[in-house]
Amino acid sequence: MTDTRLMHTVGVRALEWLWAHRDGFRLEPDVDPEVGFLERFKPVGELALICRVLFREGVAGSRQAELARKLLDHTWRHTLDGGRMLVRGQRIEPLSPIPFEVYLPYKELGYSEPEVERATVLYHRLESWAALELDPTRRLGLSAFQRRFGLTPRMPEADIVGSTWLARTPEPWTVSGHIAYDVTHTVFHLTDWGEHPDGLPPDIVDYLAMWLPVWIDDWLDLERWDLLGELLVVDACLPRPTLDERAWEGFAAAQQPDGAMPAMRTMPEGEPDEVFDMVYHPTLVAAFASVLATSRALTELTHATS
Amino acid sequence: MEQSGTSALLQGAVQDLASDVVSALRGGDHVRMSGTGAMDDLEGSFALAAVRVLGADLLLPHVLFPTPPAPEALAVFRRTVEAFPPRADAAPTVKWSHWAMSRTLMRLDTSPVDTSPVDTSPVGAPAGNPTAEPDVAGWLDEATWQVLTHQLAVLAPLAVLGEDCAVARAAQRRPVDVARGFVRAVRRRDWQQAAGAGRWLTLLDGVPETLGLEAGLDFVELMGGSDPRVALQVQAARVMRAAGALV
Repeated sequence: MTDTRLMHTVGVRALEWLWAHRDGFRLEPDVDPEVGFLERFKPVGELALICRVLFREGVAGSRQAELARKLLDHTWRHTLDGGRMLVRGQRIEPLSPIPFEVYLPYKELGYSEPEVERATVLYHRLESWAALELDPTRRLGLSAFQRRFGLTPRMPEADIVGSTWLARTPEPWTVSGHIAYDVTHTVFHLTDWGEHPDGLPPDIVDYLAMWLPVWIDDWLDLERWDLLGELLVVDACLPRPTLDERAWEGFAAAQQPDGAMPAMRTMPEGEPDEVFDMVYHPTLVAAFASVLATSRALTELTHATS
Repeated sequence: MEQSGTSALLQGAVQDLASDVVSALRGGDHVRMSGTGAMDDLEGSFALAAVRVLGADLLLPHVLFPTPPAPEALAVFRRTVEAFPPRADAAPTVKWSHWAMSRTLMRLDTSPVDTSPVDTSPVGAPAGNPTAEPDVAGWLDEATWQVLTHQLAVLAPLAVLGEDCAVARAAQRRPVDVARGFVRAVRRRDWQQAAGAGRWLTLLDGVPETLGLEAGLDFVELMGGSDPRVALQVQAARVMRAAGALV
């Protein structure tokens, strides 16, 4: 099993980079309508989700927890203008689930914007919101978020999961990058981002225990760090995580001295904002994988000594 | 890297032989041995080397079907076994593939040993017992699933229905690992390794259902079957699966 310190350090350094580059979390209020105002919300929502996992697992050191709290405050107050940007997003595209999806983790962490909630409750009553043509993994995530918000999902998660790629446990040699991202997100949604590993049905657990090691091996050798990080999260969501040493060592070695994690192979070059857009996601994933794997390693340590 | 003329010639000879084996496996006919007729000229040495590369699979149709090999095919096969005895320090795969050839020869060649024009006494096996298994075991048990699959794919000629040996027993102990290696090989588009691993999996118990082996082998053939060495493994697996289903 991998040294816990190595896995933990990846997350600490990732948070340092995210804090140092917090201005990269930016919206574009004057963006061309063809591009869409909501395009730049995704990084903010992902940041809040990961920070929530970090607080939940309780394995972050004081410095890491402090940085996470400051990042959340910064993005809520500055990037989202205290939630008013989410309201604006809902007014521009009323039926888009994005403002709600970004809002939920902030709400769970104690931030609040009543107008976003009023709109969400209203949209939830609409046939149109239930009828949105989302792919199964995205629909699964939306229903899970609605449940967490306190609404009863119009499409129950149990009814959606069967139509995901993963639930059909297909031929493992057909997995490509796109399919692999569907797999990781199905696992994230079924486990509430690692909070409930028992949310994975037994046949999916068996399937992943069987084939995940192959995919980890493959994307490690391909140096696809973004996807590898997500696969390492999936590993940490399993009842018996492997916390694969070779994969974690390769992943940690790919991280830059300042904490940035390249998406693939080596760091890209370009203007700071361009580099941020290419690198923020794998760096967030590194923080996510780090906190879950560290938490699982410490749990196993506790079991071993009790 | 640019392929040397000699190497390209050898590869070509191997491909030709593999094509003959595939035809024989498909048609139940004997192996024609294209290009190995002129044993006395310079190309004869390539023919022997090509037979050595293909190994015991050259006569696989005659192991799987009850048809005797053509005398000239058997003669070339015998000469090859005798021409390339493994050195004491040879890699395990070299020793085992040579052993596989010796075993096939013992089974198919009913002529007395002393009719051979060259010295045939111990062909790489311990003296006095040409079919004793090589004194290398354990290396597969210690190998990672990646290395295990690679080595087994190299030793695919040992994957023969009903044939027991230490390598087959090592494979039988690790069906999940070989299945993982198959997935890895397909992902890497290493069709030859995938086909060899798939042939082994056809013989193993405990292969995960979710692997989708049968369609997987068809996929390997679709993607890599223009290489006769890939087609040979896939066809061998198919014949053995059909034979296994009849048992």
